Amino acid sequence: MTDVMEVEENAKASPAAVDMYEWREGMPWNPVERVILERRSVRKYKDKQVPERLVRRILEAGRFAPTAGNSQSWKFVVVRDRDMIDAMQKYVQLRCKVFKFFLNWQKSPLGKLAWFYTQLSARVMPNLLHPIPFGAISLIAEGKLKLFHDAPTVILVLVDRRGAAKPLVDVGICGQNMVLAAHSLGLGTCWVGFVEVFKFGTRWKKKLGVGWPYELIEGIALGYPVGNPDGMIERELQEIEWWEDGRKRTVF
Amino acid sequence: MAYISFRERMIIPTYDNPEHGTSGRVVIDHEKCNGCGNCVIICPGACLYVAGVGKDKKAYMIDAPFPDCMSCNDCSAMCKRGAIKVSVTYGYDYFYKILHRGELAPPRNF
Ligand SMILES: Cc1cc2nc3c(=O)[nH]c(=O)nc-3n(C[C@H](O)[C@H](O)[C@H](O)COP(=O)(O)O)c2cc1C
Ligand code: SF4
Ligand code: SF4
Repeated sequence: MTDVMEVEENAKASPAAVDMYEWREGMPWNPVERVILERRSVRKYKDKQVPERLVRRILEAGRFAPTAGNSQSWKFVVVRDRDMIDAMQKYVQLRCKVFKFFLNWQKSPLGKLAWFYTQLSARVMPNLLHPIPFGAISLIAEGKLKLFHDAPTVILVLVDRRGAAKPLVDVGICGQNMVLAAHSLGLGTCWVGFVEVFKFGTRWKKKLGVGWPYELIEGIALGYPVGNPDGMIERELQEIEWWEDGRKRTVF
Repeated sequence: MAYISFRERMIIPTYDNPEHGTSGRVVIDHEKCNGCGNCVIICPGACLYVAGVGKDKKAYMIDAPFPDCMSCNDCSAMCKRGAIKVSVTYGYDYFYKILHRGELAPPRNF
């Protein structure tokens, strides 16, 4: 932590003193690393709207993301209308209530039948019904988790399915560019995969311009955070296979 | 080279059964916690709450066999008193078995 503080002070005293584009063993985090490591998903926002020019600047970070074949396979939809964001949140909550009715056998009046539906659906959509999003469906239905966490601005990222090679990867990189830029500029963000639910809403799809070749992939909630949600945390180490000098090691 | 067996792959766990995995867990240091409730507001799993009055106001994890804690540690980032952090990361058996992960560690600046 003390290292981090030093960088902060240096940055204020003279920007040239910040270590960038070079590495020394054990050196403190540079500003880019700090933003990457301290970024946390923000789920409580102030009402204060983000200035339009700031949002435009963040979108620039997305525009310059790398893409396979420079195909830039995305489309952005920015929503800054309080009523519209509320309506979107409400729609997803209602949908989640329906899903919960059919899938959450513990709470569903369908009982064992709901258990059967879940087993079936989880086999068709094992990623969408992974235990964490599965639990989140009930939380959203019960109003304990909001789709966009009441953020004042939302950037929806659509994929252009005609993109080179693997367009979904392009979209992910593009989104994270914007997220990191936003945090470096004092904003908070949260990726919102639950926009998936709009697949069921014909009217919403029309309104949001979702139609071939575009498909709504992710939302990014954007706003001024309440409190200081960013900070470094602990997370699991990853087991890495490391080939060198003709043999394999495992490192963490 | 299979990382999980065919049988494991075929079993999609029921999401609430402690025999089929563990949810995330946090430890809260009540010496440090002042019950400000910041962690409660931002917990995506709605699995924290504050209880008590005055000096005894503290954060707790809900008493559910399977809280929706995804061990994100966002509560620990939010708590500037360093009173809360993940102690157990979530893990499921069978189809969703966690592979190739180690202990919890903060960023290391090598
Ligand atoms: C593709 C993607 C989709 C996500 N969807 C949601 C979501 O719908 N709701 C939500 O609250 N968080 C969502 N998140 C945030 C994750 O829960 C969060 O990134 C994760 O818990 C790690 O925490 P951190 O971002 O604070 O490091 C999403 C993240 C990603 C990358
Ligand atoms: S944020 Fe920290 S101090 Fe505040 S209630 Fe949570 S654990 Fe306690
Ligand atoms: S780790 Fe995440 S989900 Fe678990 S209690 Fe903390 S904020 Fe909530």
